[in-house]
Amino acid sequence: MSYWTGVRRMGRSTKTSRRRGGYELKPTPKPKRQIRQSQAAQERILRVGMTMLLLTLAIFSSSAAGQTLHMPPHEKYVLKNGLTVLLLEKHGVPLINVYALVKTGAAADPAGEEGLASVTAGLLRKGTKARSAQQFAADLDYIGGTFEAEAGADFSSVSEEFLTKDAERGLGLLSDALLHPTFPQDEVDKLLAQALDGVRGAKDDPQQVLGAYYDGYLYGTHPYGRPAGGDEVSLQRIKRDAVMKFYETNYVPANVLLAVAGEFNGAEMRKKLEDVFGAWAARSVKNEAIPPTAPVKSKRLLLVDKPDATQTYFALGNVGIARNDPDRVAIRVVNTIFGGRFTSELNEALRVESGYTYGVSSFFDARKAPGPFGIFSFTKNETTAPAIDLALQVLQKLHKQGVTEEQLKSAKSYIKGQFPPNIETSRQLAQIIASYEFYGLSDDEINQLEARVDAVTPEIAKRVIDKHFPAENLVFVLIGKASEIGPAVEKYAEKRDARAISEPGFWPPPEKK
Amino acid sequence: MNMTTRLTSRVALLLVVLVLLGAPVWGQAEFPVATKTLKNGMKVLVQTDHSIPNVALYIFYRIGSRNEGPGTTGLSHFFEHMMFNGAKKYGPGDLDKVMEANGGANNAYTTKDVTVYQDWFPRSALPLIYDIEADRIQNLSFDPAKIKSEREVVASERRLRTDNDNGGLLDEQLWATAYIAHPYQWPVVGWMSDIEHWTMEQLKHHFEMGYSPNNATMVVAGDVSPEEIFALCEKYIEPIPTHAPPSPVVTVEPEQLGERRVVVHKPSQLPLVLVAYHVPQTNSPDYYALNVLRTILFQGESSRMYQRLVDKDQIALDVSSSVEPAFDPTIVEVVAQPKQGVDSQKCEKAMYEEFENAKNATVSDTELEKAKNIRLAEFYREMRTINGRANTIGTYEVFFGDYKKLFDAANNYSAVTKADVQRVAKTYFGANNRTVSTLIPDNAEEKGKP
Repeated sequence: MSYWTGVRRMGRSTKTSRRRGGYELKPTPKPKRQIRQSQAAQERILRVGMTMLLLTLAIFSSSAAGQTLHMPPHEKYVLKNGLTVLLLEKHGVPLINVYALVKTGAAADPAGEEGLASVTAGLLRKGTKARSAQQFAADLDYIGGTFEAEAGADFSSVSEEFLTKDAERGLGLLSDALLHPTFPQDEVDKLLAQALDGVRGAKDDPQQVLGAYYDGYLYGTHPYGRPAGGDEVSLQRIKRDAVMKFYETNYVPANVLLAVAGEFNGAEMRKKLEDVFGAWAARSVKNEAIPPTAPVKSKRLLLVDKPDATQTYFALGNVGIARNDPDRVAIRVVNTIFGGRFTSELNEALRVESGYTYGVSSFFDARKAPGPFGIFSFTKNETTAPAIDLALQVLQKLHKQGVTEEQLKSAKSYIKGQFPPNIETSRQLAQIIASYEFYGLSDDEINQLEARVDAVTPEIAKRVIDKHFPAENLVFVLIGKASEIGPAVEKYAEKRDARAISEPGFWPPPEKK
Repeated sequence: MNMTTRLTSRVALLLVVLVLLGAPVWGQAEFPVATKTLKNGMKVLVQTDHSIPNVALYIFYRIGSRNEGPGTTGLSHFFEHMMFNGAKKYGPGDLDKVMEANGGANNAYTTKDVTVYQDWFPRSALPLIYDIEADRIQNLSFDPAKIKSEREVVASERRLRTDNDNGGLLDEQLWATAYIAHPYQWPVVGWMSDIEHWTMEQLKHHFEMGYSPNNATMVVAGDVSPEEIFALCEKYIEPIPTHAPPSPVVTVEPEQLGERRVVVHKPSQLPLVLVAYHVPQTNSPDYYALNVLRTILFQGESSRMYQRLVDKDQIALDVSSSVEPAFDPTIVEVVAQPKQGVDSQKCEKAMYEEFENAKNATVSDTELEKAKNIRLAEFYREMRTINGRANTIGTYEVFFGDYKKLFDAANNYSAVTKADVQRVAKTYFGANNRTVSTLIPDNAEEKGKP
């Protein structure tokens, strides 16, 4: 999941003539890199992981006109085999998006086999009872469809999109992948080898791996500390049997939410879904609860050495909030002011006034259990300590001074004004209704958003800052040229750790077997 | 001006779709776009859509890094940043503060050809956005302190996207090698030494040159009516005086007569290889056949290159191609990400063989049909948001010379034949027309030394 989306959206960019997407590594749901500012950016923001955050924290209505935005009508029902279906008809563009949320994610990876959920998701299309991997690709591409399968910390997901006229074929492909994957050994080997090189390649770009080091250093051996895409050691330990077992245990109708949104006739779609998914054999499922997480109660610093870096990439923060935290809307409002938009306190200080960086943002990644909060930025080697000092000053100022009425007014208006494009497409809506269902949230996330945003006062903001924004105890992770920046950053924590980016794994270092 | 329907564009789009899916008359597909050319020469295009209470506003200025020269590379992009740093009515920092306080957000991007400004806002902010845009187009201020700090920001952007990013670094080397005469040879962000040395005079000159209203196109999509937009334009934009646009770029890149190669040695876990082929500018008739060829070769896991390099030979993690809108003859870029330890020339060889296959025999009917289906589905994906529509309408208007070409696209793709695909493969994808940019990991290099 990308911590960087915020930065990208805020930054003005040079659009170079290449598509960065070209370097993305298909099987590994590593943080995605942004391509450009247009639709692609908007769409990608709503990927798994980010989805939760943005939705938690951004739910709104249509501001000044006084006309409140509502969640479009949708229905929910459960098939006999336990599969939950969510249907949302949205007419105007002849596309259908199907989003299957499997309620088990990377947090369920066995220790030492990190990446298992991700690899399992990636292999769904790589050979089924009816199709070879190559035939699946040919059939999907022939209808101009898209198919993305990945695993975040809390859940796995498959998102497929096709034209309305191809509904029959599209649903056939999806059910083939979900119900009948065969995990051919040669495809398992291929994908694991690609995922392994995917991790190596990601380490050539600090931006792509900062999140994995940060999560690891913040959470240690807690499942949220595991790299969802695996690492150079864990990916070599994963065997086909483990993939099969993960699939059989978790890809069970009662463990899946199937959201379908787009242009279709409801009655016809219900019948099609019954025909296609009704035959999925019911099995019992037991999901382990995510162990509780708690903020770190000391300071510590991890310096990851990348000897050729001319710029330091840093993250600092602590454990944040759960997706259903009752303070989530107030936190969104405060974080908008602090580090969630271009005129945020952080960006004003680190970019606009000092020129230390092209972008800085702060971010609550809200999950089933409290997920990470972090401030993220990058700056040239010489200004590493000054930039971090400044970020810390801005954080201290937030605690000392809170936020003003005027800042609140601006942030509320911003949040409400920017929300509607988040529920513009069927793709976005399918993910939203599935994730609300998963996290136990209601349509009030959207229907009551305006009222909830407007209800935030400076006093509530103050309480939320004290409770949820870390002050003294901070975890620091830096990727940069250790020989140049090391001495200057020692002051941030007594407890310090160091790794070379070329060493396998993230944090903690993988155990040798 | 076309305002013949009160249907929302979404509904109109549906009608279009029915036409598209039902019959070969793709060319009929249209949704209403109202247009008006202001007295100062700026063309305004409006696409009404009431599905969400928001607006996307794009302004395309026909100035980019192709209008720069040695010593001033990156100036267009730097200027793009300065357009947010204060004018007469909205001083330094005011633009962003006022816009965000009213529910709006903005961004901008610069390419080799254009500089594009984007505003996304609730319709309640409409007059304000026009006030802001008019202010900065005519009254930009050049505060030396802002220039100093913004220079640092751009340097940080360059370190992020180029210096510490292998793909960015190779891309820069590729263009610098593929072009020896034409200004596409330097990077949009600029060489670091130029970033450090631009002067106030150069900045002012650039503003005068590029930011004349008759050098710009405005596109508005969303919860608006053409009447209200045109009225706002008459009030805020039309009074802005016209001046001389940038001088034409006269340099023509001479034909490439043999392969060019550039090598980068750098500490890195994986190698990387980019290959460029010169192709005509965007408004060339070959545009559609080239896209069909690229789709067949590169798009999706069933594409020929993916099947060959990633699936069968298993020498690459990914292979893709791209081409961006361009006023002048440009390049198709191909990127292969070799696996660790794989000699990137192995990837090159496999790709060249696939290009040869596309020259030696026509593609199959199924492949051709697949490519057209993919292009059609992508069209809908682009057009389903107000933001996507504003960007696409503007891109067609600016680079194809007429937004209506957008509605011909499906027809133009439909008309591409297997022979066309074979012809463009033969015409453009030869060894003499290619430039190769390779990253060789330092560690691998050391092993090879005696």
